[in-house]
Amino acid sequence: MSRRPPRGEYIETDTGNKVARKATLVGTQNIMLGGKTVIQPDVMIRGDLARTIPPAQSASGGPANNTAVAIGRYCFLSRGCCLRPPGRMYKGVFTFMPLRLGDHVFVGPGTVVQAAQIGNHVHIGGKVVIGEFAIIKDYVKVLDGSVVPPNMVIPSFSIVAGQPARIIGEIPEGGIEAFELRDLYKTVGNNPQPTAP
Amino acid sequence: MFGNNRLPAFHPGLTQSRIRDTTTGSGLWFPGLRSPPLPSESDPANDQLPLPITPEDLYDTPMAPFNPYTYIRCPCSELNPYTKRTPDVTAQGLSRAAQDDDDHTFDPRAARSNYSLYPLEYLSFCEDCHQIRCPRCVAEEIVCYYCPNCLFEVPSSNIRSEGSRCTRSCFQCPICIGPLAVNHVETPPDPNQLLSPDHASSSHSGSYVLSCSYCNWSSTEIGIKFDKPNSIHMQLAKLRNGGETRLTAKERKERRKEQASQGGGGGSSTGQGEEDLDTLLDMETQFANLKSFYQNQLSDANGTGKVGGDPSAALGNLGFDAPASLSRIMSLYTGSSSLHDKKSKSRPGTMREALAPSEGLQLASLDESSAITALQDFESTTGLDAYSSTASTTQLQSQAPYLGASPLHGLTRFTSSLRPIPYLLRTKRSKRCPQCRHIISKPESKVTTTRFRIRLIAGNYIPTITIKQLIIPGLTPPPMPNLPPDTIEPLKPAQFVLTFKNPIFESVRVTLATPATTPGRFPAKVTILCPQFEIDSNTDVWEEALKDNNATSSSSQAQNLSSSTGPEGSGPGGRKRAGTLRPGTAGGASLAGEELGPEVGKVWERGRNWTSIVIEVIPASLVQTAKRDGRGPIKEDEDVLEIPMFVRIEWEAEAPEDEIMPGLSSTKGGNKDGGKEKRELAYWCVLGLGRVARTL
Repeated sequence: MSRRPPRGEYIETDTGNKVARKATLVGTQNIMLGGKTVIQPDVMIRGDLARTIPPAQSASGGPANNTAVAIGRYCFLSRGCCLRPPGRMYKGVFTFMPLRLGDHVFVGPGTVVQAAQIGNHVHIGGKVVIGEFAIIKDYVKVLDGSVVPPNMVIPSFSIVAGQPARIIGEIPEGGIEAFELRDLYKTVGNNPQPTAP
Repeated sequence: MFGNNRLPAFHPGLTQSRIRDTTTGSGLWFPGLRSPPLPSESDPANDQLPLPITPEDLYDTPMAPFNPYTYIRCPCSELNPYTKRTPDVTAQGLSRAAQDDDDHTFDPRAARSNYSLYPLEYLSFCEDCHQIRCPRCVAEEIVCYYCPNCLFEVPSSNIRSEGSRCTRSCFQCPICIGPLAVNHVETPPDPNQLLSPDHASSSHSGSYVLSCSYCNWSSTEIGIKFDKPNSIHMQLAKLRNGGETRLTAKERKERRKEQASQGGGGGSSTGQGEEDLDTLLDMETQFANLKSFYQNQLSDANGTGKVGGDPSAALGNLGFDAPASLSRIMSLYTGSSSLHDKKSKSRPGTMREALAPSEGLQLASLDESSAITALQDFESTTGLDAYSSTASTTQLQSQAPYLGASPLHGLTRFTSSLRPIPYLLRTKRSKRCPQCRHIISKPESKVTTTRFRIRLIAGNYIPTITIKQLIIPGLTPPPMPNLPPDTIEPLKPAQFVLTFKNPIFESVRVTLATPATTPGRFPAKVTILCPQFEIDSNTDVWEEALKDNNATSSSSQAQNLSSSTGPEGSGPGGRKRAGTLRPGTAGGASLAGEELGPEVGKVWERGRNWTSIVIEVIPASLVQTAKRDGRGPIKEDEDVLEIPMFVRIEWEAEAPEDEIMPGLSSTKGGNKDGGKEKRELAYWCVLGLGRVARTL
């Protein structure tokens, strides 16, 4: 190959994803990245934990959609975090369910996410545990060290903290813009841009 | 951490170190909540729980790193003629207040300041008054109510009838506040049935429980199981702890009738049935008994007193909501001597007090021996401290009022009798300006949408100020070796870069002022090197890019453009160019300045819509001052260097058309020519620069 790009820390895909070479992605065929997503080193995504029971509609001839982890655009997975699809007993058999992340989701370092669904513009701090089948709606901030219990639903514009996590505040109207991760996306990668003042 | 009741500036994680300082729950504050209800370490209920992560694991440093902040003071705290806060504000008082305002600088450490300082994102802006509005001064209106768990909207008529809690199946754990899930439990199959051939059918006879997946609490602990998985709220309302069903209103009435027919319901009889009822008397029954007792008395008194009155109509008029009966009851309890009411005097002794449980009499059970034995039993059986079996204050506070509970003296004290908590509803609220009543913020009424119809936030009108310590290699003296990072050395000049970013589409002229020394116990000398400057307008990024391309068609910029013309390229492209333009637009002065250090009267750096200047501070020595002034040791957060700064911004805005319209307030600032209008806005803000080291 004549035009081989220099080997950087990240693999940058056509859709703008920046995946660290040192990240551990298991079962990549079951992981969907929306684009412009940053996956830092030591991140683990468990795509191998796909659902074992085919969903009802795929049994009737449709293409089997076996996505285990779906991630939207401009997500940022910090160092050492883990995305793991939740699992439960369903009709007497244990099965995993897909884990869905929306757009502009920040996942802090050392955080374990086992949620069923995380909305858009969500900030999850470091060393957080998101329990199985938790649902986090849009514009939510989970402070560092929180433990979100399984099955918890966090409505939009909430600030959540504690062990177990509870809603401790509201995102003010003016705090919405701070969830944008476009600028953060540019600061990492093989040729990172300096942060704008 | 961050003392006061203020919020540390919130920037969702740009770097790891930054994320870490937003961690401290104790520093978090939001309008309406003074102390965040975080689980405390000493909470006995939490001690029982397995805590996967302790705070010690989370933070290897005892103190979270300092995050510089800017808080803006809302003008609502000033005494002004528009808000008539104090009735004794005379013209004299006002003029004195105005004078005071001019003479004194704003003291961020004053106790009152806590209530007027806000991070920029918490502030709104009224376009009609041209003034900053804070959560404390805006008027809120509820747009809709919804359950935070099931996200169903609750109509306000239901709130009035059902209360402010979710009446579906949304419950919180009474022990740990986590969400409860409805789970199917299969009753252990009967050994006799196991032998029978059709034991498969018996497995369906299971029931449902509420269980917490965080602390493993289950409603079986209070002896409650449900027959169906839906409408748990209704089912739970009927069940007492232990699984006993509560009497419905109808059943209670029937029971009373039964009793009346049996023995007249008199207080003298001490039969077996009487005792039974006494123990069953919960708050609801007691109230119902009392109500019927008094209603009977009222109707009796009225029926005999009134001449020719229809007894049934009198009964109907004498519900407890009738004002006449209410006044009668008031006079009954206040006594005839205090109220010279003819009615009460004319009818003394027509009413008697309840004498029996059937009339609503509930004797206070002051016998605590059962509670004491329960405590002792707990200690002997589990070997744990009996204290851990009692409910904490927060647990009791979060309990929903339950009418089926035994009244007054029988309130629960043990965690073993706490009931599941139905979720409190949450609201979406719109905000109004307190003066002109215009709407400042209005969310969409649908629960699941996050859009706003109106959202006038201060961040779109006034410049944001970011703070960074200025360290120039070679010029800034190296910090002392054993100093924690991000601390300021006392008695030595430290320089900070303040970056002002302009959000509006007009260029803005900024004038800054600070007191020469900061007010408070530890005065620091402050110098703003460039107190007057301009910030360019927040123009469209593409417009800017094209303009520059025409002016200087250098190859580097062309490259920049081409690199940015990908999909989604417009946003990043413009910003990137702002970065590359930095040295060019700043001119020679800035370039030279970077080598020489900051110069007085010169802007430090500037970009598309931002300008940064340098501020120099010489903090006082904390230790020496504390020794000298004899006001005791340095208190928490007194080492934070806070600088009050007065910001005045001026710009020329295009006069909006609606201002010419009749019925609206006259134009502010006048001077209208060619549709342009001079505007200005001035406010105090506080810069939290950093912690001063406790050396020297």
